[in-house]
Amino acid sequence: MAKIQIKDRDGAEHSLEAPSGTTLMELLRDEDLDVEGTCGGICSCGTCHVYVSEDWAGRVPAKGEDEDMMLEAIGEVVELRPTSRLSCQIEIDDSLDGLSVEIGPVA
Amino acid sequence: MSDSHANLNKGAKDLPRCPFPVPMGWYFVDYSENLAKEEIRNVNLLDQEWVLFRGETGKVGMTDPYCPHLGAHMGHGGKVCGDNIRCPFHHWQFDSEGWNKDIPYAKVTPPICKKQPILRALPVEEKWGMIWCWYHPKGEAPKWELPSVPELEDTENHVKPHRGEWETGTAVQEIAENGVDFAHLKFLHGEKEIPPAEYSFDWPHYDVNMNNGYIVGRMHGPGLNVYRFSHEGVTATMVNYTTPMTADSSVIRMSFTHKKYEEGTKEAMIAQHLVQHMVGEADGKDSAGFESVDFIVWNHKKYRPNPLLCDGDGPIIQYRKFFSKFYEGSGYAE
Repeated sequence: MAKIQIKDRDGAEHSLEAPSGTTLMELLRDEDLDVEGTCGGICSCGTCHVYVSEDWAGRVPAKGEDEDMMLEAIGEVVELRPTSRLSCQIEIDDSLDGLSVEIGPVA
Repeated sequence: MSDSHANLNKGAKDLPRCPFPVPMGWYFVDYSENLAKEEIRNVNLLDQEWVLFRGETGKVGMTDPYCPHLGAHMGHGGKVCGDNIRCPFHHWQFDSEGWNKDIPYAKVTPPICKKQPILRALPVEEKWGMIWCWYHPKGEAPKWELPSVPELEDTENHVKPHRGEWETGTAVQEIAENGVDFAHLKFLHGEKEIPPAEYSFDWPHYDVNMNNGYIVGRMHGPGLNVYRFSHEGVTATMVNYTTPMTADSSVIRMSFTHKKYEEGTKEAMIAQHLVQHMVGEADGKDSAGFESVDFIVWNHKKYRPNPLLCDGDGPIIQYRKFFSKFYEGSGYAE
């Protein structure tokens, strides 16, 4: 279980409890925060893009090649930042308690 | 029974009929003239269904039927667009190598589409007026190339090939095994003697020379054999290409040709006689043709993994060892 701080696309702040073993994308999708997560977590749609807060950037699990490629692809239509991540690739566990993210723009 | 003969008492209830998967190789799909531009056709061969299509420029594709997106069968309602096949469901397009070329509504194309083909497609070549595909159980690239067959390429100086086609109820390994079974030529086909034969295995080729140069043949993997019958300086050529259909059925096809000779000349008569011998439906003096005798055996036999061989049998064991390499990647081991 981890408590996650989320800034939605309208700038509103949410604090949500996330059970370990789910992904951050599933949390955002199921909490009706307007995150589609269309592809289900295989890095092919880019709809679960988030900006991780800078102080957390080095503490979330590292990016894989598929995530890198999808981020590069959506970079042609939305703004990328150094802390851009696909939230489907971030699995929740206790170490992420206090994580803070901002939901990325719609492509 | 001794240990070395422990399998001999296996019979109808224990022996497999055709335990083999489809071996890797180049296989005949269809004659080029049977596939028009912009045509899509569902074809069954190599133990599954495929979609065969020809693009607007003439390029041929042969792919798995099911769209990688949501599984629609592209051979039912699909369309050729340029040289691509377009799925009827959401109009995703794929080229003949299986690369996704268009998703008409996606703002961002999934990166995998730019990294690799996402639809299984077989490498296809058109040669000798025929469509050929390369099959490998794991989709690996061709391990050898189709050879040159000058008699099929120099159409100006060779007669238009006479074609034959036969369906048989066994696997390609069993059919090709007769090519090393020299003894059966006397007993099943009725040749006067077991023909003297020299042979060598050099994967993917098997070379044979029977009756001191009368028949010289080369196998280019499971799907293609070229045999040349020569007599008094005249050579006739038999190209034999077998396509596995299911685990226990195959279609054998052949093209026969020889140099153009003036009608009525001795050379023309010899060439005709050689072709008749090859087809085996001529005067019957030389031996019985394969369709009248081999099929009776092939269609009903079972495969003995541990056969009881005797002196005078051909190199069956070497052949099977050689052939087993065509199953690499399939998970099958004899």
